[in-house]
Amino acid sequence: MTTALNTRQRSDKLARSFVRTLLFVLKARAVFVLLALLVLFSLLAPSFLTANNFAILSKHVAISAILAIGMTFVVLTGGIDLSVGSLAGLGGMVAGYLLTQGILIAGVVHYPPVATVILITLAACIVVGLLNGWLVAKAGVAPFIATLGTLYIARGAALLMSNGKTFPNLTGQAVRGNTGFPHLGQSSFLAIPLPVWIMLILFALAWLIAVKTPLGRHIYAVGGNERAARLAGIRVPRVKIFTYVASSICAALVGLIIASQLEASHPATGETFELNAIAAVVLGGTSLMGGRGSIPGSLIGAFVIGVLSDGLVMLGVSEFWQMVIKGTVIVLAVAVDQLQSRLQSRFLPYLQSASVEGRE
Amino acid sequence: MRSRSIHLSAIVVAALLLLTATACHRAEMSKPLIVIIVPSQDNPFFKSEGDAASARAQSLGYRVRVDAHEDDAYRQDNLIDAAIASNAAAIILDNAGADSSIAAVRRATQAGIPCFLIDREIEADGIAKAQIIADNNQGARIVAEEFARAIGSDGGDYAELLGRESDTNAQIRTNAFHNVLDKLPQLHLVAAQSANWSQSEAFQKTETMLQAHANIRGIISGNDTMALGAVAAVRSSGRNGIVITGLDGSPDAIAAIRAGALRATSLQPAVMIARMAVDEAVQFLHSGSTGKPERQVIPCDLVTSQNADNYGDFEKLR
Repeated sequence: MTTALNTRQRSDKLARSFVRTLLFVLKARAVFVLLALLVLFSLLAPSFLTANNFAILSKHVAISAILAIGMTFVVLTGGIDLSVGSLAGLGGMVAGYLLTQGILIAGVVHYPPVATVILITLAACIVVGLLNGWLVAKAGVAPFIATLGTLYIARGAALLMSNGKTFPNLTGQAVRGNTGFPHLGQSSFLAIPLPVWIMLILFALAWLIAVKTPLGRHIYAVGGNERAARLAGIRVPRVKIFTYVASSICAALVGLIIASQLEASHPATGETFELNAIAAVVLGGTSLMGGRGSIPGSLIGAFVIGVLSDGLVMLGVSEFWQMVIKGTVIVLAVAVDQLQSRLQSRFLPYLQSASVEGRE
Repeated sequence: MRSRSIHLSAIVVAALLLLTATACHRAEMSKPLIVIIVPSQDNPFFKSEGDAASARAQSLGYRVRVDAHEDDAYRQDNLIDAAIASNAAAIILDNAGADSSIAAVRRATQAGIPCFLIDREIEADGIAKAQIIADNNQGARIVAEEFARAIGSDGGDYAELLGRESDTNAQIRTNAFHNVLDKLPQLHLVAAQSANWSQSEAFQKTETMLQAHANIRGIISGNDTMALGAVAAVRSSGRNGIVITGLDGSPDAIAAIRAGALRATSLQPAVMIARMAVDEAVQFLHSGSTGKPERQVIPCDLVTSQNADNYGDFEKLR
């Protein structure tokens, strides 16, 4: 009798730890996918596992990671920001305009120094971010529609700035006192490219905001249950506007980085970048319904996409297959996400009751 | 009450403005209309082409409208319908696809509007009044020959950046490259990636290809935009002596050739082709015939540091 009970208890315990491990693996799936990809490409592409290649890889990842960090805030509140790709294009064009055409003040053309150029670019994009936030939070426009509208507005504005042309030679001129712009995207500090530093700093800031500040808790609360959040005294519109502004700042930085890397700004830059950012956010386990997700998840999601595309390029896989493979990974990741939340809600009572029993 | 009178005065002012604008437009509106449809207005090549056609038509006493179909055959269809509805005298079209544009061109022709195709052909004869294109095959060939010359008889590894692979032009260009380069045993293609005609995509892909293949000595690119992305990537890698060539002859590429960053490009005489199409359209409207065969192929020019100063925005200056 006792032995039979013991065996049952033991198998129960085994099943429980199996379920726990399974849930953990599913939850941390992006990390496992990333590790698997890293191992796979290291084996298949000889120069993949080199410090130099990792520097370049992270530089490529930085573009979608920076967008994904801003996007995570928006998605956590249950919104979406489709305008980030266009905003990156607009940001690059504003910087390109200021560096090559200058500003006309009282009949004289002034060329602002690079720091001012960067600040004006950020300000221009923040205006669009505020517009997004106002439309969603105050005017009650659905986020998808509001940001789809600003997607077109920002792209059109970018095209209007140069009449569709490229602003080339963004190196600046010593006579104009506006040299140095290319450093933003091209220099390194401690052997790590500046764009990667920007990504890391933004990541740290965003993570702190998300987990350590009241604002972060409010963002989760708004996404979890907006009505409850409002009743609890959270100023929901203000929180939402913050998320869209954060996203627009990230987009402006991406635009600046790309323009600086190419030393040229093209108005079509950033087309479909928003989709990469959303994919990274979703891969990282953030729910598009809002309220659930994390900033580190999005960073890992961006790395998954970046490692995948760079690795496939190194292997010489054709563009068409790259698209199929990328799409498959995204779809699988989201399918697993659904499986995880179903399993979790199914097994959570079981695991909890088990732990209560265990304490007895 | 006050707000109503403000509304009223606003409406009156708007109506007056509209009337003045209409009066000014009437003289302009009496001219016959030439509709120019190009793939996009944010690409320097199509922009120059559209601008050249537009300027020529205006100087010949026509009213013009420039539309962009963004390589979307459905959008092109709507633009053609709009041209028919606005009673255009002629259409100058850089089309959205060799097969998918036939129906639209036929519909315009049947509606009595002659179509003059530039830059890209359609897979049908006898519908359009003229099809004037640059010789992509020859253009790609001369640039590939220059590429091989620049790498020299020692040869070595090279990489290729392709355009959007679903694009006919991307196929024609890569085939022409390989017709030249595959015959040379000293040259080895080690990587080929599509960068979808885009500069930022070419930048990232070139950086990655340079990582995967340490001995790359040249990068041949399907257009200038991607070649300039490759130039930025090579500069950022700190490597020297990598031969890069483009194709199209964009002003930015010619500037890069002058600066020594780009070895060569081949200039498509887009401006000349656009002007020819307008001239032939006007000829046709006056006499019922262009006086030329329907299909006309215009050769491209090789641009290197030797002759870069002779070329402007997609045209030969001297």
